[in-house]
Amino acid sequence: MSLTRRFMLRTAGAALGGALAFASPAAFAQGAGTIKVGILHSLSGTMAISETTLKDVMLMLIEEQNKKGGLLGKKLEPVVVDPASNWPLFAEKARELISKDKVSATFGCWTSVSRKSVLPVFEELNSILFYPVQYEGEESSKNIFYTGAAPNQQAIPAVDYLMENEKVQRWVLAGTDYVYPRTTNKILEAYLKSKGVKPEDIMINYTPFGHSDWQTIVADIKKFGSAGKKTAVVSTINGDANVPFYKELGNAGVKATDIPVVAFSVGEEELAGIDTKPLIGHLAAWNYFQSVDNADNKAFIAKWRAFTKNDKRVTNDPMEAHVIGFNMWVKAVEKAGTTDTDAVLDAMIGVAVPNLTGGYSTMMPNHHITKPVLIGEVQGDGQFNTVWQTSGLVVGDEWSDYLEGSKDLISDWRKPLSCGNFNVKTGKCGGATK
Amino acid sequence: METRKPLLLSLIDTRGGIFLGLVAAATILVPVLALMVPANSAFALPPYLVALFGKYVCYALLAIALDLVWGYCGILSLGHGAFFALGGYAMGMYLMRQIGSRGVYANPELPDFMVFLNMKELPVTWWGFQSFPYAMLMVLLIPGLLAFVFGFLAFRSRVTGVYLSIITQAMTYALLLAFFRNDMGFGGNNGLTDFKDILGFNVQAKETRVALFMASTIALGAGYLIARAVTQSKFGKVVIAIRDAESRTRFLGYRVETYKLSVFVLSAMMAGVAGALYVPQVGIINPGEFAPANSIEAVIWVAVGGRGTLVGAALGAIIVNWGKTFFTGALPEYWLFALGALFVIVTLFLPKGVIGALDQFKARRQAAKQSGAAATAAE
Amino acid sequence: MTFISRPARARAIPLTGPAAKSLIETLSFAAAALFLVMLALFAAPQARAQGDSSVIVGLSSDKFPDTERALNELPASGLATAPDIVEALAANRLYFNGPARKLYFADEAGKMFDAATGEPSDVMASALKKVRINNAVRRSLDAARGALTLMSPDPAKRKAAADSVFKSRDATALPLLDAALAKETLASTRKVLEEARAAIVAGDSGANEVQRLEAIDILKSRGDQDAVSVLTTIASWSEGRVKAAAESASSVIQAKLALWRNVQNVWYGLSLGSVLLLAAIGLAITFGVMGIINMAHGEMVMLGAYTTFAVQEWARTSHPGLLNYSLFIAIPLAFLVTAAVGILIERVVIRFLYGRPLETLLATFGISLILQQAVRTIFGANNREVSAPSFMAGSFDFGSLQIGYGRMWIIVFAIAVFFALQFVLRATSFGLRMRAVTQNRRMASSMGIDTNRIDALAFGLGSGIAGMAGVALSQIDNVSPNLGQSYIIDSFMVVVFGGVGNLWGTLLGALTLGVANKFLEPIAGAVLGKILLLVFIILFIQKRPRGLFALKGRAVEA
Repeated sequence: MSLTRRFMLRTAGAALGGALAFASPAAFAQGAGTIKVGILHSLSGTMAISETTLKDVMLMLIEEQNKKGGLLGKKLEPVVVDPASNWPLFAEKARELISKDKVSATFGCWTSVSRKSVLPVFEELNSILFYPVQYEGEESSKNIFYTGAAPNQQAIPAVDYLMENEKVQRWVLAGTDYVYPRTTNKILEAYLKSKGVKPEDIMINYTPFGHSDWQTIVADIKKFGSAGKKTAVVSTINGDANVPFYKELGNAGVKATDIPVVAFSVGEEELAGIDTKPLIGHLAAWNYFQSVDNADNKAFIAKWRAFTKNDKRVTNDPMEAHVIGFNMWVKAVEKAGTTDTDAVLDAMIGVAVPNLTGGYSTMMPNHHITKPVLIGEVQGDGQFNTVWQTSGLVVGDEWSDYLEGSKDLISDWRKPLSCGNFNVKTGKCGGATK
Repeated sequence: METRKPLLLSLIDTRGGIFLGLVAAATILVPVLALMVPANSAFALPPYLVALFGKYVCYALLAIALDLVWGYCGILSLGHGAFFALGGYAMGMYLMRQIGSRGVYANPELPDFMVFLNMKELPVTWWGFQSFPYAMLMVLLIPGLLAFVFGFLAFRSRVTGVYLSIITQAMTYALLLAFFRNDMGFGGNNGLTDFKDILGFNVQAKETRVALFMASTIALGAGYLIARAVTQSKFGKVVIAIRDAESRTRFLGYRVETYKLSVFVLSAMMAGVAGALYVPQVGIINPGEFAPANSIEAVIWVAVGGRGTLVGAALGAIIVNWGKTFFTGALPEYWLFALGALFVIVTLFLPKGVIGALDQFKARRQAAKQSGAAATAAE
Repeated sequence: MTFISRPARARAIPLTGPAAKSLIETLSFAAAALFLVMLALFAAPQARAQGDSSVIVGLSSDKFPDTERALNELPASGLATAPDIVEALAANRLYFNGPARKLYFADEAGKMFDAATGEPSDVMASALKKVRINNAVRRSLDAARGALTLMSPDPAKRKAAADSVFKSRDATALPLLDAALAKETLASTRKVLEEARAAIVAGDSGANEVQRLEAIDILKSRGDQDAVSVLTTIASWSEGRVKAAAESASSVIQAKLALWRNVQNVWYGLSLGSVLLLAAIGLAITFGVMGIINMAHGEMVMLGAYTTFAVQEWARTSHPGLLNYSLFIAIPLAFLVTAAVGILIERVVIRFLYGRPLETLLATFGISLILQQAVRTIFGANNREVSAPSFMAGSFDFGSLQIGYGRMWIIVFAIAVFFALQFVLRATSFGLRMRAVTQNRRMASSMGIDTNRIDALAFGLGSGIAGMAGVALSQIDNVSPNLGQSYIIDSFMVVVFGGVGNLWGTLLGALTLGVANKFLEPIAGAVLGKILLLVFIILFIQKRPRGLFALKGRAVEA
């Protein structure tokens, strides 16, 4: 019963999205002044390494939109602040952007904790946040649009691929000890067990942030992998720790043909810091690769390189998520004819814009978007070679079907339901009551 | 502390008077401007500033606590952030328990993160935190206890100087790593967030924010008075003697360890209170607060304001943090240059901090006036 | 393809079966396929290419299963260019034009050839698509090429080939293995070849029991993780004596490996310790000897790493021949660059702060923020790529312990830096003056020592050593503006634990903490292990308030 209902809601959403995908933009409303757009990415501290790029992408998109004549006849004005990888500062800066600078929408955050930190602020002050990074799910806020991947748009297809194409039977789930790897691994563990993998064929390992000495763990992986069954590593290791991890894999001679490592947090930006020749064939699952071969993507890469004045700059998945999010927001504002939060929130659902992998991504009623899932193998030049791709688009599933507490929950922000955690069993909004 | 009037008055010198006056003015003016002045008036104080000022006030209290041990007792603690964070966690745990079944999983007993970590029941460490008095007791007790155990060991073995500083850093670093562990049951990296109520009032309501701000300023004033009372007492004189010549004080027959330990524990408790007031105002507590860099920054506030002056410490905390707020918005890509330069310039040119510089300036003007007076008299 | 010396006899293998696609079969198909290509080449050189369209179509369809199938069909097609196609595919130099159904390969110089005819072609690679390979195709290629290089004149290649046969356990390689064994003279290579043969025979249910048991014995004597892997696989499906033998052999090896794991922990610990030593040793001068709480120490390490990056970038663009030796340029250069920065900092800031150690903490913390942001502004916030020179790649076996050259050279480097520093401090006049100044500034000054100059040089020395450490750390860690931050706390712990002002203490402290960490990690996990170590340091300082090696004398109280 519950499944059907859930399915129906989703189907309805998808149909709505499809119908609106080619709707013509609303007429431009004329007006003076500017529309402010907040950019809330760390430019210093530990996360600057990943987030600075996203700030630049946003500046480029805004500049481009202004060249096209702005939005509703007004110019867009970026407001950049630096939350400095400091989580309480994220909340403070979000408040400042909304209350003081009166931004119409904010694009920002990378880590889950930064999003958790600003979430109450966006809900309290009723403003809009676009969050561009793959995350653990288990959340759906009225004021946040999640343009990165949910676990079902990244982790589960990757495991499926390894099971089917590489015949993997033994799994190492290695991650940094924080909520994204914990949740993803929990989902994967449940999923693998449902596929008949025995508990002794799953090894779970957590390491602290910025872990830099991987000798012991790589040796353990090698040992675990020598039990006579094909073994793979599913890595949810976070940014900074990846470089020493991969360097150690290379040093220890762990080849992709023996023990492939599939990563969910390693993209072109991360690989730009490593000599990838020893890593050829290791995998990553994303919704976008720079190497995706189509005209939109090529044009985007060219624009990005011109904007950064660096013909070697790489692009990556969260950048694409911002491109999609920004275009969706522009379209929704045009549709609503105003930047008023409530009107835009309503207009956003069902908006569809081209993504850079050659399809259309649609904003679903659960504030997650549809995406293709791509599996790529690392090449010697730091790029990924797509070896597998979902045939269609996958809808982001905010409440995992494989977790006890959340499998009965759905999110649908359309009226009259307007609920982020509707329990289909009890028929009540407000979570899973026992 | 007894509050006989003469004693209280004797604690307040001119500087302290100005400081307390300002704190009192803020306690009264902020509510008036935030709640009573219409929102479209030029004098209206937007709610985000209330939260921001509240944060500064909490930092100021932390700075006073640190100044008490560093400025008066010579213990350079690079781990005071740990006491601040522990106080914050105690408050955070109370706030988490207040969410009740309003969490996304609607579990009446367990906070959301425990539900998805598959915890079946509330860990022992969380028992009792649904009660506000218990939580407040813990805000004082946990930092105090840690400071007691740590200080007891360290001071008894006469660990001093840089060694002490480095092991306080090791302490906060170890706690940082421990709280990052999800298995600890304190929410791991995400920490505790998305609070709803405090004592039945909505945390996000304007009125609650103002009340929290007032609580913080009152705590700051009280903290200042306590610190002042300690440093002005006979006990305080011994503490200062320890700072200036530890061995000599010991040879005079004072139990140096007991003095140091008492001041350290008191200071840790004050830091804990600051942390507890900080959490509901910023809306999140996570292990990042244990980061050694945070504790070092707190030391820098004290140095910027003027070590050993209490008022200076509070002033330094507010100046540096206001600068941070301003520059992260105004010069997002260059603010670290400004902040770094500020630290270098203060140590080079204002060795006694802002307060010290003001004193010097005043002294010079007075000297100039006197010599000027002398000159006119000579004419 | 020059390494086949004579055609060997092959078993007839049906090559037409399109279905059956288990992994092993895929491997054997590919190996046999290549083998037959060779046969075709040498036995029938007159057979000319007809450009079998099904192969070309398969390879130009851009689907991995088609690529694999086409690979299998390649020998039967009689294409003269088949070996070139295989080599080009492995090297990612095979191109196709989908609509025109044309296949091209490039040689190492990038010159294009039509794959159907072998004629040079003037088509541009940019106008074509590459034939892509995935792990499955790569594995088949590896196995096949491994089997074929068994006869290579280069012993290293033969050994690598034997290793890859050992891993693929491809039964079709058996005749080749036998042929190679018959010719092999080098004992070490012979051993690997025999082990590869044993791996195949032991797992061959068709072979007789005696042979299989013998093979298991050989595997047992190999005694490493790979052997365990083969043996457990065999034990999982065999029966009777073979199963028992495989099980007992694998448990014997595992017991031995468990002992070796302790050796491994010591080695890993030494390796981690050497990294800690490198990170801390510069601090032992600036903090330990000079008394400056140098929070910018980590940034000096970072500057050294960025110098390495800059040198490599320079080598890559203008002197590619030097790239492999760029570290030798980077080490002295990093020393000079960071020493210069250090001297500048000392002259501009620190010299006003002597005698006020706690204020040096504040100033250097500010400097560290400035340096971090400066690097971020100049080089960007992203990681930078520093490649490993060839002599640091790879590993060798010491008993059952795999020792990576990279780690080994870092240990050697750390020890070398340590002794060089000891030499400078103990045996040069600069070292003498420096010790004099730090022990008693005023007396040294009255003896005619220019204390200002010595201070600046000493701080420069400490910073320069940190820069050299950065060169080594760039090999194992991120080269990012945050690099220094991750080492600063550990460095202080090492120096304090070892005893401020004593270099031997720093050495012993670093190695002790490294080894202790590696023994704790398997028991308690990485995080808890580190917490335990920190608690240990805190308690240790209670017991010995001045570290492992305490300085004695009057200077201590100051």
